[in-house]
Amino acid sequence: MLQALDHLYLPGALTLWCAVFFGLATLWGYAQSLHGDAGARTFARRGYFFFTISVVLCAFVLWLALVRRDFRIEYVYQFSGLELPVHYQLAAFWAGQKGSFLVWLFWGALIGLPLMKSAGRDEARVMSVYVLTLFGLLFILVRENPFVMLDETPLDGAGLNPLLQDDWMVIHPPIMFVGYALGAVPFSFAIAALWQRDVSRWATRAFPWALAGFMILGTAILMGGYWAYKTLGWGGYWGWDPVENASLIPWLFGVVLIHGLYLERTRGRYRRINLVLASAVFLSVLYSTYLTRSGVLADFSVHSFVELGISEWLVLMQVAFLGMSVYLIASRWKQIETRPNEDVFLSRGAFLVFSTITVTVCAVVIAAGTSAPLLTAWREHPGQVGPSFYNRTNLPLALLLGFLLSVVPFLTWKGTTLRELLRKLLPAAVVAATATGVAAAAGVDDLFHLFFVFLAVLALTTNLQKTVARWRNRGMGAGGGYLAHVGVGVMLIGILASSAYDKSAKLTIEQGKPTQIDDLTITFKRYIPRQGREKERLEVEVTRADGFRHVAYPKLFVNDRTRQLMAHPDVKTLPLMDLYISPIQYDPGEPPEVEYAFDLKPGESARAGDLTIRFAGFDLQGMGGDATARLASGQSVTVGARLEVSRDGETTEVAPVFVLDPSGRFDTPPVALPGGALAALASIDPTRGTARIELAGVDAPLPAPKLSLDVTRKPLIQLVWGGLYVILLGGLLSTVHRLRDARRVDRIADRLAARQS
Amino acid sequence: MMSKPHYLIGIVLLLLFAGFSYSAFRDTLTPYVPYAEARERTHTVQVAGGLEAGSSSYDEASGSLRFTLVDEETGDTMRVRYQGLKPANFEEAVSIVAIGLYDPATDELVADKLLVKCPSKYQGLEEKTYD
Repeated sequence: MLQALDHLYLPGALTLWCAVFFGLATLWGYAQSLHGDAGARTFARRGYFFFTISVVLCAFVLWLALVRRDFRIEYVYQFSGLELPVHYQLAAFWAGQKGSFLVWLFWGALIGLPLMKSAGRDEARVMSVYVLTLFGLLFILVRENPFVMLDETPLDGAGLNPLLQDDWMVIHPPIMFVGYALGAVPFSFAIAALWQRDVSRWATRAFPWALAGFMILGTAILMGGYWAYKTLGWGGYWGWDPVENASLIPWLFGVVLIHGLYLERTRGRYRRINLVLASAVFLSVLYSTYLTRSGVLADFSVHSFVELGISEWLVLMQVAFLGMSVYLIASRWKQIETRPNEDVFLSRGAFLVFSTITVTVCAVVIAAGTSAPLLTAWREHPGQVGPSFYNRTNLPLALLLGFLLSVVPFLTWKGTTLRELLRKLLPAAVVAATATGVAAAAGVDDLFHLFFVFLAVLALTTNLQKTVARWRNRGMGAGGGYLAHVGVGVMLIGILASSAYDKSAKLTIEQGKPTQIDDLTITFKRYIPRQGREKERLEVEVTRADGFRHVAYPKLFVNDRTRQLMAHPDVKTLPLMDLYISPIQYDPGEPPEVEYAFDLKPGESARAGDLTIRFAGFDLQGMGGDATARLASGQSVTVGARLEVSRDGETTEVAPVFVLDPSGRFDTPPVALPGGALAALASIDPTRGTARIELAGVDAPLPAPKLSLDVTRKPLIQLVWGGLYVILLGGLLSTVHRLRDARRVDRIADRLAARQS
Repeated sequence: MMSKPHYLIGIVLLLLFAGFSYSAFRDTLTPYVPYAEARERTHTVQVAGGLEAGSSSYDEASGSLRFTLVDEETGDTMRVRYQGLKPANFEEAVSIVAIGLYDPATDELVADKLLVKCPSKYQGLEEKTYD
């Protein structure tokens, strides 16, 4: 036992054990307070407070170790390095599994503080369940301790994966984990309510939390898509990759939950189903984590994580929480009073139910697709499904949703006649028909797609009408839901246009030779070498007959330490589309053939084709005094040759260099000469005092560099982002609205309780 | 009042969609198979293996990449043709997954997607997908 301690960084490990201790104390305190012991409740609150402090300290210790580059700690060694800039130390924090679980726990612990307040009279039960969910994460960290130390202290860390050295990586994962952590909140409310056999209050209280989780997870998904699109050069914002799906599935269940809670709050329906949904959100967070973090998909995912021995624990967590919710829901099912379904077919209630079913089917289908390797594991050859599975199954669902979204705003709870509904829909239908006509004129030729456009614009318009009406009559907050649905309509149009009508061309072009793609002329101008922190760039000019001109600078560089080739696309946003230029390969051409080689003493000249070369003398400034001593101290030595090159009576001076590094390797970068030839200082003969000058491209032209690139035009892709922003803004308004609602209900309950006593 | 027929229609619709999803699932499922199996299938499959040294060639005119995969366990080989640009770091790949359909006429797997795993000193392997 004590020997095991030798391998742990104690300040960090200690904070983890403190967290376990205070977590247990919190649970004990709340258990005691269930019998009405106010002292025990104070004890539990303090326990939770210290638990949070321990977790925050734990994260702080790891962060400090990263900033101090304490390579004794394995985690720091794995993800940090001497060269890593300070702000990327944060990205290193969540680059590995252990660190990301710690971030998750960190937010989870902090969220518990406002949750304690918001749970009101149900605090003891809600917090007990919530702390239990945090224990799941805490145990993973205790088992896979991030503070394990190495036997020896390495001089430098392995460095952070260059893909992760990105500003988005600093901000995207922590926001994702806020969303994940919030997934446990409605679950805790639901389980606590079942435990107490009183399911009357939880929905109102959990509502703003569910909305906040929906918004924050949505923001993280938006950022992830944006990152993949703008920086990673994946070619799109969504690839149906398991890791992407892992965040989408809980989010979709979250969407269903907030609609279910709305139905419960306004109509008293879905009282049982919401309990199931709250569990589904949390369990899908766990299941997604299991899929992406346990290594079960290792052979199938683009960014899979390596197995860390936590899969059994994650399975156990899922089984335990699933068992808990199934048992509680099943045993209380009959006792839960719910209002009988009195909705007629053409009513808001019925159509909301259809919508929730549709989104649930969406989530289930995506979960099934992502789980394909598990679902087919019993077969001889397990497999996976590609993006076409998701596209095929989700398209009809998106159409159905577009229809439901268009109709719901004009349906009333009591029911509407078809005639009245059609009359109300008429203005929006005119707008949608006009938009469809515009789309057809713009080149949308598929009938199915035109129908899709019609429905999306119809949904957008009806919800916009309703948003404005709500804002006028009942204030900003009340219109949030409708506003979010306006965003859905906008996003559907963006998704269709940018994915079904994008024009992509992969081409290989020679430097300086303009190439035509449709109405665009693409010219690869030059390769720009690395300048300080600015990476290697390629200058690509795009012009159009109408005078449009854009000079794109996509980046393509080999990471120094990993020899890994990385591409950063250039994305130019035009009024109606994005021009996306992503380099694939840069071929500098075959090494040029040496046509002339001269051994010259200072002052001597030579003729090569139409060039006269005079060797003016050595440039020894880069020698730095004693070359041997300099090499011995680990520095490189540079010798230059000053050349005067004359062509057609014009003389230019160039100075090719010879660089010798301490390991004995040398480099002889060529310099350009007038007329396009190259000259290099190939070697030096110190005994004879001569320099060997090699020339290429004097008689025959040099092989031209070639660039392979992907030029894609993505029409209306801005609507995808724009729509998502509107959805999130609507979510924010609704969160505030529901938070006020929960407070109001609490005040009324308090007043009633005071009157009774 | 929502009547029984409404529920029935709903259930039928759900079942229909389940059937539709199942068929889509079956159609798009690409199983991981050994090379011998891949030669017999008439459906998209995925095969994995190491790159046989010196086996890759890139035909610039047609823009297609040809290489041979070697199954490290059995020593079997499989020629692969990939229509597209040569992925970066291709020669350094320790393992390549090719997703595509076997063409008996040329005895090649015509890949429409490659998953290239390159050695990395970072945790695990770097992977990149090429469509």
